[in-house]
Amino acid sequence: MVEVRFELNGETVIAKEDPTKRLLDVIRTSFGLTGPKEGCGEGECGGCAVLIDHKIMNACITPLGNVHGKSVVTIEAFAKTQRGQTIRKAFEAHGAVQCGICTPGMVIATESLLHANPHPTEAEIREGLSGNLCRCTGYNMIVKAIQSLVEKEGSLW
Amino acid sequence: MVNTYYPTSYEEALELLNTHKPTIIAGGTDLMVRKRAWSDLPTGFDQDVLFVGQLEELNYIDRQGTNIHIGAGVTLEDIMDHFHTPTLLSDAIKIMASPAIRHRATLAGNVVNASPAGDTLPVLYVLDSVVVLESLDGIRHVPIDSFIKGPGKTIINHNEMIKEIILSGHKFNHSVYRKVGGRKADAISKLSVCMIMDIKKGIIQNFRAAFGAVGPTVVRDLAIESKLIGKSLAWLDENVEEIGKYYESIIKPIDDQRSSATYRKACTINLLTDFIKHIKHHA
Amino acid sequence: MVLDISKSINKVDNFEKITGTAKYIDDIKPEGCLYARTLRATIPCGRIVSRHYPDMPEGYAIVDHQDITGQNFVKIIFEDMPVFVEETVNYYGEPILLVVGEDKATIVSLMNQISIQYETYEPVYDYVDSKIHKSYIKGQGEAVFDKAYKVIEHTYETGYQEHVYIEPQGVIALYEPDKVSLLGSIQCPYYVKNALMNVLGCNEEEVRVEQATTGGAFGGKEEFPSLIACQAVVASKKMKRPIKLIYGREEDMAYTTKRHPAKIKIEAAISKDHEIIGLRTHVGLDGGAYIGLSGVVLLRAMIAATGAYTINHLHITGDVYITNTVPTGAFRGFGAPQMIFAVEMMMHHIAKELNEDPSTLRMKYLAKTGDVTSTSGHFIEPIIMEKMIQRAMEISDFEHKIKKHKHERINKDSHKGVYKGIGMSWFLHGCGFTGSGEQVHIKAVVRLKKDELNRVHILVAATDMGQGVKTTFRKLIAHKLNIPIEQVIFENPDTDKVPDSGPTVASRTMMIVGGLLAKAADQLKHQWNDQKEVMVEERYKQPEHIKWDDETLQGDAYPAYSWGINIVEVEVDPVTFEVTLQGVWSVYDVGKAIDEQVILGQADGGLLQGISYGMLEVMENKDGRVQQKTVTDYIIPTAKDTVFMETELMDNPYALGPYGAKGAGELTLIGGAPAVALAIENAIGKHVTRIPVVPEYIMELMKNG
Repeated sequence: MVEVRFELNGETVIAKEDPTKRLLDVIRTSFGLTGPKEGCGEGECGGCAVLIDHKIMNACITPLGNVHGKSVVTIEAFAKTQRGQTIRKAFEAHGAVQCGICTPGMVIATESLLHANPHPTEAEIREGLSGNLCRCTGYNMIVKAIQSLVEKEGSLW
Repeated sequence: MVNTYYPTSYEEALELLNTHKPTIIAGGTDLMVRKRAWSDLPTGFDQDVLFVGQLEELNYIDRQGTNIHIGAGVTLEDIMDHFHTPTLLSDAIKIMASPAIRHRATLAGNVVNASPAGDTLPVLYVLDSVVVLESLDGIRHVPIDSFIKGPGKTIINHNEMIKEIILSGHKFNHSVYRKVGGRKADAISKLSVCMIMDIKKGIIQNFRAAFGAVGPTVVRDLAIESKLIGKSLAWLDENVEEIGKYYESIIKPIDDQRSSATYRKACTINLLTDFIKHIKHHA
Repeated sequence: MVLDISKSINKVDNFEKITGTAKYIDDIKPEGCLYARTLRATIPCGRIVSRHYPDMPEGYAIVDHQDITGQNFVKIIFEDMPVFVEETVNYYGEPILLVVGEDKATIVSLMNQISIQYETYEPVYDYVDSKIHKSYIKGQGEAVFDKAYKVIEHTYETGYQEHVYIEPQGVIALYEPDKVSLLGSIQCPYYVKNALMNVLGCNEEEVRVEQATTGGAFGGKEEFPSLIACQAVVASKKMKRPIKLIYGREEDMAYTTKRHPAKIKIEAAISKDHEIIGLRTHVGLDGGAYIGLSGVVLLRAMIAATGAYTINHLHITGDVYITNTVPTGAFRGFGAPQMIFAVEMMMHHIAKELNEDPSTLRMKYLAKTGDVTSTSGHFIEPIIMEKMIQRAMEISDFEHKIKKHKHERINKDSHKGVYKGIGMSWFLHGCGFTGSGEQVHIKAVVRLKKDELNRVHILVAATDMGQGVKTTFRKLIAHKLNIPIEQVIFENPDTDKVPDSGPTVASRTMMIVGGLLAKAADQLKHQWNDQKEVMVEERYKQPEHIKWDDETLQGDAYPAYSWGINIVEVEVDPVTFEVTLQGVWSVYDVGKAIDEQVILGQADGGLLQGISYGMLEVMENKDGRVQQKTVTDYIIPTAKDTVFMETELMDNPYALGPYGAKGAGELTLIGGAPAVALAIENAIGKHVTRIPVVPEYIMELMKNG
C-alpha cells in the first residue's frame, strides 16, 4: 500500500504514512486537527471519536489504512455544519460541558446516534453515549441536551 | 516499518496471504490495542499487514437452510441489526463494547482473537458454529471448539483467513445470554453464559450451555448435555444442584484485575441454576 | 433591576470546547520542542547499585538527579519525595530519569539500552510505619467510655480511587535564556512555581508558570504536576530547548496519586438509655511511599469524625502510614469521603444494634446551629438540614420506599425478584483550608485591574478545570460592577501576571477567592475612573471570630460549612449481585449558587464520582504494583450505568461569601458512597463495612455476612 487517499472534512487528502499508524496521530499531527483527543489509547474513552462514513469510530484504534476511500469528519468540520451548531447550542443550553476534553467526542457520538436514529429513547441515548467516558458531568446534562434535540430538532436528522 | 497490502478482491487477498503470510486486519479494534505504541510512533506490528475490511465479497449475511452464514467482513453493528441474525447473537453484540467499536469490529475478529472473555464466543459455541477458513490450498470447515485452542491461540495457518462463520439458525424454546461485566457498557466480561433448552411435552429435547471467561477457552461439556436429553422436567428439578456441582467441577476460572475466581465460579453456577429454575417455572 | 445571580448563563468557554478548538496541553507543540519519556524503577523497595547509560546521539540526553541545580525534592510540605531517584527506591515505577530528544523512536530505542541494577529490600505494604500521628479530644474524650453501658465497635475500609480525568497529566517546559516557563495541565500554578524555584535553585523572577486549558483534575492535578514540571524544567535547562512531557493513560493510572485507602475503627460508647455518649475513632491512611499532602488529608478526615452529627465526647486519633506503593494524594473531598462513609455506616449500625429506626436515631444527633463542632468550635452559621432532609425525603418518596422494599423483600419469589433498597446520607464539608491554613500558609492576594478601555481584568491564580470558575468569576465581577460580562476578562492564570490567590482546591475558590474579588470589586467601584487604569488589591484576613489552635486541633476548623443530603435507590440482582441504580436525589446548601447550572453540574458529576467510589471503582495493589491501570480494567461509570439525578439547592447565604456563596465542588462527592452503600445494605439486609460494594463483595456478604 503506497498511499492512503481519503476524504478529510470534505477534502480529498493523501497520507503518505505507514498505513498501520493510528488515524488519530495522522489527523492530529500531520493535519493539525487537534479536536479529537487521546484519553486512553485503547478505544474505551471515546475522546478521539471521529465520524467515518457518518458513524462514530475511535481514531486511536483505527489504522490509517482502514480509511482508504472513506470519508472522515472531525469535530472541527462537523461543528460548522447546521447539525453541529444545533448540537452545540443544546449542549450550551443544558450545561453539558465542564472540562471539555470529552466534549468533541460526545458531539460526534450525538451526531452518529441521531443520524441512525433521530428519535432515540433515553435508554438509546445512554447506549449511544456508552463508548464516551466523561468524568465531570455524570452524563445528566448531556443526556438532557440530546433529549431536547430529539424533542425540538428531530427534523434535522 | 512493515509492508502493508490493500487488496481490492478476495482472490487477491488470498494470494497476498499466501506470499507474505501477513497479519490480517479487518476492523483492527483488538490488534490496534495490542500493538499500540507511544503516540505518533508506528504501531508495533512485526509482520506485514493485510487490510481486508474493504473486501465487499466478505460483507454478507445469508441463510442457507437452517444455517446462517456471516461473512468475515461484516461489522458487529450490521450483524446485530440483521434479520437473519439469531437473537442470542444479537443479544450478545448489543451489550458488547460500544457503538464506536461495533461499527468497526467483526465477528471473525472476535473469533480469531480467541480471548477467553470474547463476548460472542459462548453464543457461537452454543450455536455449533463452524469457522470457514480459506487459502489458496482450499477451504476448511472447523467447528469453533476445535478452532480455538487457548487464549489467543487458534489452528489457523499463516496462509489462511476466515471467510465466514456458519451458525445454527434453529430457534429454541428457552435461551439466555448473560454477560457480567464491571459496568453496563464498554466492559470486558468478568464472565458470560449462553444456554438453551428445548422442551417438548415436559421432556428435554436439547440442552446446551457454554461459559466464557471461566477458563482458557469457552467451556462447553457435551457429555452432560447429552445426559439431560430425554429427561423430564421433574427430573431436572430434582437434579438442579447436581448439574450445578458437575459444572462447578469443570470450570476453572482465575483471579485477575477484573474479578475473582470465586465470584466467577459461583456466579456462573447461579446463572445456570437460575436458568433451569426459570424453565421449570415457565414450562 | 439586577437579575438573581444564580440564573444561569452560557459558560464562557463552551464554544471553544464544543467546537474542538480549545487547546489542551497535548494540542500544543512549541517550535523546537523535544519529547521526554520517563524511565522508572522496576522494584518496589531497594537501592540502585549501578546504572549503565548508552552513548547518546547528538540532540539526545538522559536527564537525572545529577542535572538538578537546586534541591532534589518536590517542594510541597515535607522534603521527602525526590524529583529523580538518586539511590533509594521507595515504590515500583518511581521515576529515575528522563530520556529527551526530538524523535520518539530514537528515545524508545535509547531507553531500551539503559540498564539499572538494584539491591532489593523487603517492601512494606501494611499499615505499620506511621509517619504522621495526630489526635484531639472533645469533652471528656475517652474517659466517657468508663460510663458506657455498652460499646459498639466497627471497622470500615475504603479503597483507592483514581481520578480518571479524561486528559492525562502533561506539562511543557518552555525555554528562554534567562527564564524557565512552564505550561501545564495544572490546578495550582503557584505550587508548581514554588517547586520549580526549589529544584532549579533560582529566584522568583526566573520562573513563570501558566495553566493550559485543563481536561479535568479532581485533585489529581493539585500536587502531582509539580513532580513532572520539575523534571521537565530540569531537562529544558539542560537541553536549552522546550520539553514536552505527556503521560499516556497507563502511566497516569499506575504512577500518579490516588485517593488514600483508609481503615477507620469507630467505637461508640452507649449509655443505658441508648444515648451515644461518645466516640473513640482511629483513622489510618495509606500514604504510599511519600507523605506529600497526607497529613492534611488526615486532618480533614479526623475533623469529619462526627459527620453531620453532634456527639459530645470524642477521642479521635489518626495515622498516615508509609508503604512501598505509589504515593496517594489530593482527591476531591480530601479525607472526608472516607470518614463520612464510616460515620454514616456507623450511625446505621448503631441504630440496628440498638433496634432503633436509623432516621430517628440520626435526627436526634443531627448538628444544629450553635452546636459545638468535633473540634470544639461552633456552628455559627445557620444549619437548615432539617428542612433539607424533609425535602429530600419528599422528592425521593423515601419513607414509602423503605416500607415498600421491606415488604417486597419478605414476600420475594426466590428466582424472580430482585433486591431493592434505598439509602440516604447526610453530610457536611468545611469550606476552605483546614484550621489556620488560609491565614498562615496561603495568605491569598487578589487583584482587579481596570484598563483604559474600561475592561476589568481578574487577576487571580484560580484555575478552571471544568468546574466553571472562568464563568462564575466573570459573572460575579460583572454583577458587582454592573457591567456586561464581555467587559470582564479572566485568562488562564500566568504567575507573571497574577498574584498568588492560593491553590484551586478545598472548595475555597468561590468562597475565599471569590469573596476577596467581590470586596475588590467594591473598592474598584469607588475608585473607578473612566480615563485611567485602576488597580485594586485585597488580601485575606481571617474573620475575627474564627479561632484555631494548630497544636491541640481545637477551635473552628473552617469558617463555614456546606451541607448535603444524597438519596440513592438500587436494585441488586439476586443471581449475579450486580447493582443497578434506580434513582438518585440530592438537596444541597451551598449558601448561594453563583450560577445554578454550574452548581448542578458539580452536583451531578461529584455525586456520580461518589456513587461509583462506593460501588464500582476497584483499584488494588499486588506486590506494590497497581493492577487496574487502563480504563478498561479500572471501572468508571458510562452513561448506561447511571440514571437521571435530581438535585435541589436551598439558599442559605453565608455573610462572608460573595452573594452568600459557600464551597460546592467537594461537597457533592462525599455523600455518594455511603448513600449507595446504605442502599445496598438496605436491599440485601447485611452489614456493609467496606467500599466499593462490588458484586464480589456482595456475594461474600450473602454467603457469610
